[in-house]
Amino acid sequence: MNANEHDPRLEEAAAFALGALDADRVDDFRQHLEGCERCQAELRWLEPAVRALPEAVEQQAPPHELKTRLMEEVRADVAADRERSPSRKGFREWLGGLNFAGLTWKPLAGIAAVVLIVAAGVGYLVGNGGGSNVHTTEVQQKNGIVAKVVNENGKGELRLTGVEQPAKGKVLEAWVERGESVEPVKATFTPDEEGNASTQIEDLEGVDAVLVTEEPAGGTKMPTTEPFVNVPLEGS
Amino acid sequence: MTPVRREKAERLADEELMPWIAKKDPEAFEVFYDRHGGAGYSLAYRILGDRTAAEDCIQEAFISIWRSGARFDPTRGSVRSWTLSIVRNRAIDALRSKAGKAPKLTFDDEAILEARPAAEHTEAEVLAAETADEVRGALSHLPADQSRVIQLAYFGGFSQSEIAGMLDLPLGTVKGRMRLGLEKVRGELAEGMA
Repeated sequence: MNANEHDPRLEEAAAFALGALDADRVDDFRQHLEGCERCQAELRWLEPAVRALPEAVEQQAPPHELKTRLMEEVRADVAADRERSPSRKGFREWLGGLNFAGLTWKPLAGIAAVVLIVAAGVGYLVGNGGGSNVHTTEVQQKNGIVAKVVNENGKGELRLTGVEQPAKGKVLEAWVERGESVEPVKATFTPDEEGNASTQIEDLEGVDAVLVTEEPAGGTKMPTTEPFVNVPLEGS
Repeated sequence: MTPVRREKAERLADEELMPWIAKKDPEAFEVFYDRHGGAGYSLAYRILGDRTAAEDCIQEAFISIWRSGARFDPTRGSVRSWTLSIVRNRAIDALRSKAGKAPKLTFDDEAILEARPAAEHTEAEVLAAETADEVRGALSHLPADQSRVIQLAYFGGFSQSEIAGMLDLPLGTVKGRMRLGLEKVRGELAEGMA
Protein backbone atom coordinates (compact mmCIF):
# COMPACT_ATOMS: atom_id res chain seq x y z
CA MET A 1 0.00 0.00 0.00
CA ASN A 2 1.57 3.30 -1.06
CA ALA A 3 1.23 6.57 0.86
CA ASN A 4 -1.74 7.89 -1.12
CA GLU A 5 -3.61 4.62 -0.87
CA HIS A 6 -3.01 4.70 2.85
CA ASP A 7 -4.49 8.16 3.40
CA PRO A 8 -8.07 6.87 3.89
CA ARG A 9 -6.77 4.64 6.66
CA LEU A 10 -5.12 7.58 8.36
CA GLU A 11 -8.38 9.48 8.13
CA GLU A 12 -10.03 6.53 9.79
CA ALA A 13 -7.36 6.58 12.48
CA ALA A 14 -8.27 10.18 13.34
CA ALA A 15 -11.97 9.33 13.48
CA PHE A 16 -11.21 6.20 15.51
CA ALA A 17 -9.20 8.26 18.00
CA LEU A 18 -12.13 10.65 18.41
CA GLY A 19 -14.62 7.79 18.73
CA ALA A 20 -16.30 9.02 15.55
CA LEU A 21 -15.57 6.19 13.15
CA ASP A 22 -18.83 4.82 11.76
CA ALA A 23 -19.85 1.63 13.57
CA ASP A 24 -19.73 -0.46 10.42
CA ARG A 25 -16.08 0.54 9.85
CA VAL A 26 -14.76 -0.09 13.36
CA ASP A 27 -14.15 -3.85 13.11
CA ASP A 28 -12.47 -3.51 9.74
CA PHE A 29 -10.21 -0.75 11.02
CA ARG A 30 -9.30 -2.73 14.13
CA GLN A 31 -8.26 -5.67 11.97
CA HIS A 32 -6.18 -3.40 9.79
CA LEU A 33 -4.65 -1.78 12.85
CA GLU A 34 -3.30 -5.08 14.14
CA GLY A 35 -0.95 -5.40 11.20
CA CYS A 36 -0.27 -1.76 10.37
CA GLU A 37 2.56 -0.08 12.22
CA ARG A 38 1.91 3.21 10.46
CA CYS A 39 -1.67 3.43 11.74
CA GLN A 40 -0.55 2.29 15.19
CA ALA A 41 2.01 5.08 15.21
CA GLU A 42 -0.60 7.55 13.97
CA LEU A 43 -2.96 6.61 16.81
CA ARG A 44 -0.17 6.93 19.38
CA TRP A 45 0.64 10.35 17.94
CA LEU A 46 -2.96 11.60 17.97
CA GLU A 47 -3.91 10.20 21.37
CA PRO A 48 -2.54 13.10 23.47
CA ALA A 49 -4.53 15.57 21.40
CA VAL A 50 -7.76 13.66 22.02
CA ARG A 51 -6.96 13.24 25.71
CA ALA A 52 -6.38 16.98 26.01
CA LEU A 53 -9.70 18.03 24.45
CA PRO A 54 -11.77 17.85 27.66
CA GLU A 55 -9.32 20.20 29.36
CA ALA A 56 -10.31 22.93 26.91
CA VAL A 57 -13.94 23.28 27.98
CA GLU A 58 -15.14 26.20 30.04
CA GLN A 59 -14.81 25.23 33.67
CA GLN A 60 -17.98 25.02 35.76
CA ALA A 61 -18.02 24.72 39.53
CA PRO A 62 -19.96 21.62 40.53
CA PRO A 63 -22.54 22.21 43.27
CA HIS A 64 -21.34 21.30 46.73
CA GLU A 65 -24.40 19.11 47.19
CA LEU A 66 -23.09 16.85 44.43
CA LYS A 67 -20.01 16.03 46.48
CA THR A 68 -22.12 15.57 49.60
CA ARG A 69 -24.42 13.10 47.82
CA LEU A 70 -21.49 11.28 46.31
CA MET A 71 -19.65 10.94 49.61
CA GLU A 72 -22.83 9.82 51.38
CA GLU A 73 -23.16 7.01 48.86
CA VAL A 74 -19.49 6.15 49.27
CA ARG A 75 -19.75 6.07 53.06
CA ALA A 76 -22.96 4.05 52.90
CA ASP A 77 -21.04 1.52 50.78
CA VAL A 78 -18.28 1.38 53.37
CA ALA A 79 -20.81 0.89 56.17
CA ALA A 80 -22.59 -1.85 54.20
CA ASP A 81 -19.27 -3.59 53.54
CA ARG A 82 -18.49 -3.45 57.23
CA GLU A 83 -21.86 -4.97 58.10
CA ARG A 84 -21.27 -7.80 55.63
CA SER A 85 -17.93 -8.54 57.27
CA PRO A 86 -18.50 -10.96 60.17
CA SER A 87 -15.17 -10.10 61.74
CA ARG A 88 -16.19 -6.52 62.44
CA LYS A 89 -18.94 -5.57 64.79
CA GLY A 90 -20.49 -2.12 65.07
CA PHE A 91 -20.07 -0.28 68.34
CA ARG A 92 -23.76 -0.11 69.08
CA GLU A 93 -24.30 -3.71 68.07
CA TRP A 94 -21.63 -4.53 70.60
CA LEU A 95 -23.10 -2.19 73.16
CA GLY A 96 -26.58 -3.58 72.50
CA GLY A 97 -25.41 -6.96 73.70
CA LEU A 98 -24.32 -5.54 77.04
CA ASN A 99 -26.46 -5.02 80.09
CA PHE A 100 -25.34 -2.38 82.54
CA ALA A 101 -27.03 -2.99 85.91
CA GLY A 102 -30.13 -4.24 84.17
CA LEU A 103 -30.33 -1.34 81.71
CA THR A 104 -30.55 -2.08 77.98
CA TRP A 105 -29.01 0.04 75.23
CA LYS A 106 -32.15 2.15 74.67
CA PRO A 107 -32.39 3.81 78.08
CA LEU A 108 -28.61 4.15 78.12
CA ALA A 109 -28.81 6.11 74.91
CA GLY A 110 -31.42 8.38 76.42
CA ILE A 111 -29.32 9.05 79.50
CA ALA A 112 -26.25 9.71 77.37
CA ALA A 113 -28.17 12.13 75.20
CA VAL A 114 -29.45 14.08 78.18
CA VAL A 115 -25.89 14.41 79.45
CA LEU A 116 -24.73 15.54 76.03
CA ILE A 117 -27.43 18.14 75.63
CA VAL A 118 -26.47 19.66 78.96
CA ALA A 119 -22.81 19.58 77.99
CA ALA A 120 -23.41 21.05 74.59
CA GLY A 121 -23.80 24.59 75.85
CA VAL A 122 -20.36 24.56 77.38
CA GLY A 123 -17.30 25.74 75.55
CA TYR A 124 -18.51 26.34 72.04
CA LEU A 125 -16.60 28.80 69.98
CA VAL A 126 -17.64 30.94 67.12
CA GLY A 127 -15.17 31.64 64.36
CA ASN A 128 -15.47 34.10 61.56
CA GLY A 129 -14.25 33.15 58.11
CA GLY A 130 -11.85 36.00 57.55
CA GLY A 131 -14.12 38.72 56.24
CA SER A 132 -16.39 36.46 54.19
CA ASN A 133 -19.83 35.70 55.54
CA VAL A 134 -18.81 32.40 57.09
CA HIS A 135 -19.40 31.50 60.72
CA THR A 136 -18.32 28.31 62.37
CA THR A 137 -19.82 26.97 65.57
CA GLU A 138 -17.96 24.09 67.12
CA VAL A 139 -19.21 22.11 70.07
CA GLN A 140 -17.33 19.40 71.90
CA GLN A 141 -19.91 16.78 72.89
CA LYS A 142 -19.36 14.87 76.08
CA ASN A 143 -19.05 11.51 74.34
CA GLY A 144 -16.03 12.70 72.37
CA ILE A 145 -17.86 13.76 69.23
CA VAL A 146 -16.85 17.13 67.90
CA ALA A 147 -19.68 18.79 66.02
CA LYS A 148 -19.07 21.75 63.79
CA VAL A 149 -21.67 23.80 61.93
CA VAL A 150 -20.31 25.99 59.15
CA ASN A 151 -22.75 28.71 58.17
CA GLU A 152 -21.98 30.33 54.84
CA ASN A 153 -24.51 32.93 53.81
CA GLY A 154 -27.36 31.04 55.45
CA LYS A 155 -26.41 27.68 53.97
CA GLY A 156 -24.67 25.27 56.23
CA GLU A 157 -22.72 22.12 56.65
CA LEU A 158 -22.65 19.94 59.73
CA ARG A 159 -19.37 18.11 60.26
CA LEU A 160 -18.89 15.48 62.90
CA THR A 161 -15.76 13.72 64.04
CA GLY A 162 -15.45 10.82 66.45
CA VAL A 163 -18.79 9.28 65.50
CA GLU A 164 -19.38 5.59 65.96
CA GLN A 165 -21.07 3.63 63.18
CA PRO A 166 -24.86 3.55 63.49
CA ALA A 167 -26.49 0.23 64.22
CA LYS A 168 -27.38 -2.11 61.37
CA GLY A 169 -30.15 -0.66 59.24
CA LYS A 170 -29.77 2.73 60.87
CA VAL A 171 -28.42 6.02 59.58
CA LEU A 172 -27.73 9.43 61.04
CA GLU A 173 -30.31 12.13 60.51
CA ALA A 174 -29.81 15.79 61.25
CA TRP A 175 -32.51 18.17 62.36
CA VAL A 176 -32.86 21.90 62.62
CA GLU A 177 -34.67 23.33 65.60
CA ARG A 178 -36.54 26.61 65.22
CA GLY A 179 -38.41 27.56 68.38
CA GLU A 180 -40.79 24.70 69.07
CA SER A 181 -40.51 23.09 65.65
CA VAL A 182 -38.01 20.48 64.51
CA GLU A 183 -37.50 19.75 60.82
CA PRO A 184 -35.33 17.09 59.18
CA VAL A 185 -32.37 18.00 57.01
CA LYS A 186 -33.01 16.57 53.54
CA ALA A 187 -30.45 13.76 53.34
CA THR A 188 -29.48 11.11 55.88
CA PHE A 189 -25.81 10.34 56.30
CA THR A 190 -23.34 7.87 57.76
CA PRO A 191 -19.84 8.23 59.17
CA ASP A 192 -16.77 6.93 57.39
CA GLU A 193 -14.31 4.43 58.84
CA GLU A 194 -12.54 7.15 60.79
CA GLY A 195 -15.74 8.40 62.35
CA ASN A 196 -16.08 11.50 60.18
CA ALA A 197 -19.48 12.46 58.84
CA SER A 198 -21.01 15.49 57.21
CA THR A 199 -24.27 16.66 55.76
CA GLN A 200 -25.57 19.79 54.12
CA ILE A 201 -28.14 22.10 55.71
CA GLU A 202 -30.03 24.02 53.07
CA ASP A 203 -31.27 26.84 55.29
CA LEU A 204 -29.87 27.90 58.64
CA GLU A 205 -31.97 31.04 58.84
CA GLY A 206 -33.57 31.29 62.28
CA VAL A 207 -32.18 27.95 63.44
CA ASP A 208 -31.69 27.69 67.20
CA ALA A 209 -29.89 24.35 67.19
CA VAL A 210 -28.76 21.54 64.94
CA LEU A 211 -29.42 18.06 66.29
CA VAL A 212 -28.49 14.56 65.19
CA THR A 213 -30.31 11.34 65.93
CA GLU A 214 -29.97 7.77 64.82
CA GLU A 215 -32.90 6.72 62.64
CA PRO A 216 -33.99 3.83 60.43
CA ALA A 217 -32.43 3.81 56.93
CA GLY A 218 -34.27 6.28 54.75
CA GLY A 219 -34.84 8.65 57.63
CA THR A 220 -37.98 9.75 59.41
CA LYS A 221 -40.15 12.85 59.49
CA MET A 222 -39.77 13.29 63.25
CA PRO A 223 -36.97 12.13 65.56
CA THR A 224 -37.62 8.72 67.06
CA THR A 225 -34.58 8.73 69.35
CA GLU A 226 -32.94 11.25 71.62
CA PRO A 227 -30.39 13.50 69.90
CA PHE A 228 -26.80 12.49 70.59
CA VAL A 229 -25.45 15.68 69.05
CA ASN A 230 -26.73 19.14 69.85
CA VAL A 231 -25.17 22.28 68.43
CA PRO A 232 -26.80 25.46 69.70
CA LEU A 233 -26.49 28.35 67.26
CA GLU A 234 -26.53 32.01 68.06
CA GLY A 235 -27.90 34.68 65.75
CA SER A 236 -28.72 32.44 62.76
CA MET B 1 -4.60 -1.34 54.92
CA THR B 2 -5.47 1.24 57.57
CA PRO B 3 -7.42 4.22 56.28
CA VAL B 4 -5.33 7.00 54.84
CA ARG B 5 -5.65 10.34 56.59
CA ARG B 6 -6.94 13.21 54.54
CA GLU B 7 -3.72 15.21 55.00
CA LYS B 8 -1.68 12.30 53.72
CA ALA B 9 -4.05 11.57 50.87
CA GLU B 10 -3.73 15.16 49.71
CA ARG B 11 0.02 14.74 49.39
CA LEU B 12 -0.24 11.61 47.24
CA ALA B 13 0.04 11.75 43.46
CA ASP B 14 -3.00 10.56 41.55
CA GLU B 15 -1.39 7.25 40.70
CA GLU B 16 -0.60 6.68 44.40
CA LEU B 17 -4.18 7.45 45.40
CA MET B 18 -5.70 4.78 43.19
CA PRO B 19 -4.63 1.75 45.27
CA TRP B 20 -6.25 3.38 48.31
CA ILE B 21 -9.46 3.90 46.36
CA ALA B 22 -9.29 0.29 45.19
CA LYS B 23 -9.21 -0.62 48.90
CA LYS B 24 -12.37 1.43 49.39
CA ASP B 25 -10.81 4.28 51.31
CA PRO B 26 -13.30 7.18 51.39
CA GLU B 27 -10.69 9.81 52.30
CA ALA B 28 -8.62 8.91 49.25
CA PHE B 29 -11.74 8.96 47.10
CA GLU B 30 -12.73 12.38 48.40
CA VAL B 31 -9.32 13.76 47.47
CA PHE B 32 -9.65 12.12 44.05
CA TYR B 33 -13.05 13.81 43.58
CA ASP B 34 -11.72 17.16 44.76
CA ARG B 35 -9.01 16.97 42.11
CA HIS B 36 -11.05 15.80 39.14
CA GLY B 37 -14.71 16.33 39.98
CA GLY B 38 -14.67 19.89 38.66
CA ALA B 39 -13.10 18.97 35.33
CA GLY B 40 -15.47 16.01 35.04
CA TYR B 41 -18.51 18.13 35.81
CA SER B 42 -17.40 20.78 33.31
CA LEU B 43 -16.99 18.15 30.61
CA ALA B 44 -20.35 16.55 31.41
CA TYR B 45 -22.03 19.95 31.36
CA ARG B 46 -20.38 20.80 28.04
CA ILE B 47 -21.69 17.58 26.52
CA LEU B 48 -25.13 17.48 28.13
CA GLY B 49 -25.86 21.21 28.36
CA ASP B 50 -27.88 20.72 31.53
CA ARG B 51 -26.74 20.99 35.14
CA THR B 52 -28.99 18.29 36.56
CA ALA B 53 -28.00 15.85 33.84
CA ALA B 54 -24.33 16.72 34.40
CA GLU B 55 -24.70 16.07 38.13
CA ASP B 56 -26.33 12.69 37.47
CA CYS B 57 -23.57 11.83 35.03
CA ILE B 58 -20.82 12.69 37.54
CA GLN B 59 -22.54 10.81 40.34
CA GLU B 60 -22.80 7.69 38.15
CA ALA B 61 -19.29 7.98 36.73
CA PHE B 62 -17.54 8.53 40.06
CA ILE B 63 -19.57 5.85 41.84
CA SER B 64 -18.68 3.42 39.05
CA ILE B 65 -15.00 4.25 39.63
CA TRP B 66 -15.45 3.76 43.37
CA ARG B 67 -17.37 0.49 43.08
CA SER B 68 -15.24 -0.99 40.34
CA GLY B 69 -12.23 -0.72 42.60
CA ALA B 70 -10.70 1.97 40.41
CA ARG B 71 -9.47 -0.31 37.63
CA PHE B 72 -6.90 2.15 36.43
CA ASP B 73 -4.11 1.07 34.12
CA PRO B 74 -1.16 3.49 34.40
CA THR B 75 0.26 2.30 31.08
CA ARG B 76 -2.72 3.81 29.26
CA GLY B 77 -2.43 7.42 30.34
CA SER B 78 -2.94 9.60 33.37
CA VAL B 79 -5.58 9.19 36.06
CA ARG B 80 -7.14 12.43 34.93
CA SER B 81 -7.51 11.46 31.27
CA TRP B 82 -8.81 8.03 32.31
CA THR B 83 -11.38 9.67 34.59
CA LEU B 84 -12.45 12.18 31.96
CA SER B 85 -12.83 9.43 29.37
CA ILE B 86 -15.19 7.60 31.74
CA VAL B 87 -17.16 10.81 32.27
CA ARG B 88 -17.28 11.46 28.53
CA ASN B 89 -18.54 7.95 27.77
CA ARG B 90 -21.26 8.26 30.42
CA ALA B 91 -22.29 11.67 29.14
CA ILE B 92 -22.44 10.53 25.52
CA ASP B 93 -24.49 7.50 26.58
CA ALA B 94 -26.88 9.79 28.43
CA LEU B 95 -27.09 12.03 25.40
CA ARG B 96 -27.91 9.12 23.12
CA SER B 97 -30.49 7.75 25.53
CA LYS B 98 -32.46 10.97 25.18
CA ALA B 99 -34.27 9.73 22.11
CA GLY B 100 -35.01 12.44 19.64
CA LYS B 101 -33.28 15.14 21.58
CA ALA B 102 -30.32 16.66 19.81
CA PRO B 103 -27.41 17.69 22.01
CA LYS B 104 -26.83 21.31 22.70
CA LEU B 105 -24.00 22.37 20.47
CA THR B 106 -22.25 25.66 20.59
CA PHE B 107 -20.12 26.82 17.75
CA ASP B 108 -18.84 29.90 19.51
CA ASP B 109 -15.30 28.74 20.11
CA GLU B 110 -14.45 31.66 22.34
CA ALA B 111 -17.36 30.91 24.65
CA ILE B 112 -16.60 27.21 24.70
CA LEU B 113 -12.95 27.60 25.38
CA GLU B 114 -12.97 30.45 27.85
CA ALA B 115 -10.63 29.72 30.71
CA ARG B 116 -11.63 29.57 34.33
CA PRO B 117 -9.75 32.05 36.47
CA ALA B 118 -7.95 29.79 38.89
CA ALA B 119 -7.48 31.09 42.39
CA GLU B 120 -5.72 28.07 43.73
CA HIS B 121 -4.19 25.13 41.95
CA THR B 122 -2.82 21.81 42.97
CA GLU B 123 0.14 20.63 40.95
CA ALA B 124 -2.18 18.47 38.86
CA GLU B 125 -4.43 21.45 38.23
CA VAL B 126 -1.50 23.60 37.20
CA LEU B 127 -0.43 20.97 34.67
CA ALA B 128 -4.02 20.59 33.51
CA ALA B 129 -4.32 24.35 33.18
CA GLU B 130 -1.18 24.49 31.07
CA THR B 131 -2.53 21.74 28.85
CA ALA B 132 -5.87 23.49 28.68
CA ASP B 133 -4.21 26.72 27.55
CA GLU B 134 -2.33 24.85 24.85
CA VAL B 135 -5.41 23.01 23.63
CA ARG B 136 -7.49 26.17 23.64
CA GLY B 137 -4.76 27.88 21.69
CA ALA B 138 -4.51 25.02 19.24
CA LEU B 139 -8.28 24.83 18.71
CA SER B 140 -8.59 28.58 18.32
CA HIS B 141 -6.03 28.47 15.51
CA LEU B 142 -8.00 25.86 13.59
CA PRO B 143 -10.22 26.86 10.69
CA ALA B 144 -13.81 26.90 11.98
CA ASP B 145 -14.89 24.02 9.74
CA GLN B 146 -12.17 21.75 11.15
CA SER B 147 -12.87 22.79 14.74
CA ARG B 148 -16.57 22.14 14.20
CA VAL B 149 -16.24 18.53 13.08
CA ILE B 150 -13.86 17.76 15.94
CA GLN B 151 -16.23 19.25 18.49
CA LEU B 152 -19.25 17.47 17.01
CA ALA B 153 -17.33 14.22 17.20
CA TYR B 154 -15.85 14.58 20.66
CA PHE B 155 -18.45 16.61 22.56
CA GLY B 156 -21.49 15.57 20.54
CA GLY B 157 -20.65 11.90 20.18
CA PHE B 158 -21.51 11.96 16.49
CA SER B 159 -19.99 9.64 13.90
CA GLN B 160 -18.47 10.91 10.68
CA SER B 161 -21.56 9.96 8.69
CA GLU B 162 -23.86 11.68 11.15
CA ILE B 163 -21.74 14.83 11.01
CA ALA B 164 -21.75 14.74 7.21
CA GLY B 165 -25.55 14.52 7.30
CA MET B 166 -25.91 17.31 9.86
CA LEU B 167 -23.62 19.69 8.02
CA ASP B 168 -24.77 18.57 4.57
CA LEU B 169 -21.23 17.78 3.51
CA PRO B 170 -19.74 14.86 1.59
CA LEU B 171 -18.44 12.17 3.95
CA GLY B 172 -14.97 12.50 2.47
CA THR B 173 -14.89 16.21 3.35
CA VAL B 174 -15.74 15.46 6.98
CA LYS B 175 -13.06 12.76 7.13
CA GLY B 176 -10.45 15.10 5.71
CA ARG B 177 -11.35 18.00 8.01
CA MET B 178 -11.35 15.75 11.05
CA ARG B 179 -7.90 14.40 10.32
CA LEU B 180 -6.40 17.73 9.35
CA GLY B 181 -7.83 19.44 12.42
CA LEU B 182 -6.70 16.79 14.84
CA GLU B 183 -3.23 16.69 13.27
CA LYS B 184 -2.93 20.45 13.72
CA VAL B 185 -3.98 20.31 17.36
CA ARG B 186 -1.48 17.54 17.95
CA GLY B 187 1.23 19.47 16.17
CA GLU B 188 0.67 22.56 18.27
CA LEU B 189 0.70 20.52 21.47
CA ALA B 190 4.00 18.99 20.40
CA GLU B 191 5.44 22.45 19.75
CA GLY B 192 4.24 23.57 23.19
CA MET B 193 6.00 20.65 24.82
CA ALA B 194 9.23 21.16 22.84
